[in-house]
Amino acid sequence: MALTITCPICGARNGYEFRYGGEEKGPKPDEAALRSPEAWCDYIHFNRCKAGAQEEWWFHRDGCGAWFTIHRDTVTNREIPGKEAGI
Amino acid sequence: MLKKPSATAKPLWKKAPFKSSYDAVIIGGGLHGLATAYFLARDHGMTNIAVIEKRYIGFGGAGRNTAIVRANQRTQENVPLYKEALELWPVLTRELDFNLMFYNCGNLNLAHSDAALKAMRTNVATARFHGVQSRVVDPKECKELVPALDISERPRYPIFGGMYHPPGGIVRHDAVVWGLAKGATAKGIHIHQGTEVTGIGVSNGKVVSVETDKGKIATDRVLNAAGGYSAALSWNLLGMKLPISVLTIQAMVTQPLKPLLHHVVSSGAYHCYANQTLKGEIATGSHMDPWPNYTTQTTARYIKHQAEALIEMMPCLSGIKFMRTWGGLADMTPDMAPIMDGNQPHEGYYLDCGWGYFGFKSSTVTGKYMAQYMATGQCPEILAPFALRRFQEHRLMGETAALVNYTPDN
Repeated sequence: MALTITCPICGARNGYEFRYGGEEKGPKPDEAALRSPEAWCDYIHFNRCKAGAQEEWWFHRDGCGAWFTIHRDTVTNREIPGKEAGI
Repeated sequence: MLKKPSATAKPLWKKAPFKSSYDAVIIGGGLHGLATAYFLARDHGMTNIAVIEKRYIGFGGAGRNTAIVRANQRTQENVPLYKEALELWPVLTRELDFNLMFYNCGNLNLAHSDAALKAMRTNVATARFHGVQSRVVDPKECKELVPALDISERPRYPIFGGMYHPPGGIVRHDAVVWGLAKGATAKGIHIHQGTEVTGIGVSNGKVVSVETDKGKIATDRVLNAAGGYSAALSWNLLGMKLPISVLTIQAMVTQPLKPLLHHVVSSGAYHCYANQTLKGEIATGSHMDPWPNYTTQTTARYIKHQAEALIEMMPCLSGIKFMRTWGGLADMTPDMAPIMDGNQPHEGYYLDCGWGYFGFKSSTVTGKYMAQYMATGQCPEILAPFALRRFQEHRLMGETAALVNYTPDN
C-alpha cells in the first residue's frame, strides 16, 4: 500500500515526501547516561521492529521540514490514529 | 492452467510426527534454518531436531531473492565466509543428489565514477588477499563481457569501468530449499510447516522449551533463523531488542528473451542488479523501500525505476515487458553485516539474523558453522566477528563501504 503521512503543518501528503526518522524511543537519555556503551547502543541502534502498530518519527524533507511522530501499522503500511494504535 | 501432480510423483521430504521434546529447535524453515538442521545431522550426528516454519518452507527470503551468489564483499571478516559458500554449491549438489543449478557465470559490477573505481580496487585487493578471483576491468572489457552495455557518454551515469568476479553467478533458490529439506529429513530431521512459535521458555538463564500453536516442546537449544521476522520474534518472545530495521525489497522478471546477458550485472549508482535466468527472463532487483515495513508490497515506483535503470545500462531492453514483480523482507543492520551469536542473553538461545539482502548467498555456509556453534556451544572462529556485542563495543564492520550506497534505514 502506498503510504500517506499526515504532517502536523501540511496535512496528509504522499509518503515519498518524507524521510523516516526511526522508532520512537522515548526521551533522549541525559549525556551522563549515554556515556555507557550499552546505553548508547540501545538508544542509537536497537529497535523493536514491531510487526504491527508502532510510533515513529518522520521528517517532512520535501515539505515544511517538520519533525513529528505518527502511529503506523508496519504490516499494512497505513497511518493509524494514536488512540486506535493502543500504544 | 495448473497441471495435476503426477500420480507417481513422490514428495521430496517426509511429514513428521510432532514430538514434545527435541535436542534443538530451529525457528524458520528458510535456507539458514534448513541448512543448520542439515549440518547438525551431517557433521554432528544430531538428528533429533525440529525445524518450525509458520508458513511453508521457502516462503520468505529463501524464495524471494534474485538468486545471485558472489564472494567479493568489502571486509576481511566477510569474504572468507562467502568464499566457502561459493565452494559449497557443487559439493551440496552432489551430496543432496539434487541439482541446485549453480551457474558460475561471474558477476560484473559497474563503476560510474572515479571514486567507485577506487573503491573497487580496494575490494579487489581484499578479494585477492583471500584467494578470491576478482579484477578491475575497463569499459572496453565491460563491453566484451556484456555486449548489450552502453559504454558511451550517453547514459546519465556513464560506465567508468567495473569489477569482474568470475566465480560468482546464480543458483536456483527453490532447488536449494527443496534439496536441503530432502537431505535434512532423510537424516531424520523433522520439519513442521504451518506451525507458529508463540514463546520461548527460560529457566535459571537457560532455554528450556519452545511453545508453539501445536504444543510445547522441551528443548535446551533454540535457533532464531526467522529472517525478516527474527528481530520482531526476539522482541516479542524474549524482550530482546536487536540493531535491525526491516524493509521490503522488490524484484521482478521480464518476459523470456534469447540469451544476451552472460554474466550477473550490477550497478550501485543505478541501484540495479540483473541476471538472465536459465529460462531467459531478466531477473532484476532494486533498492529497498525507504521506510521499515512488513508489507512485501510491490509499487509502481520501483517498476519504473528498474525499467529506467535497465534501459540506461542496456538500451536494447527498451520495450521489453515485466511479467512478474514481488517483494521480500530485508533485515538490515547498521553495518550491513549479519548477527551470529549464541548463549545470550540466555544459554541455549542462538541468533542467525540481520542478513539484510545477503541471506541467500551465505545460507549454506552459515548453516554449517551455526550447526557447529549449536552442537559444541563454542563459537567457531570464523563467526566470532559477527557477535551482537560488536554494536555495544562500537566495532561496526565496514561493509557499508562497499559499492552500493546503502544504510539500514535506507
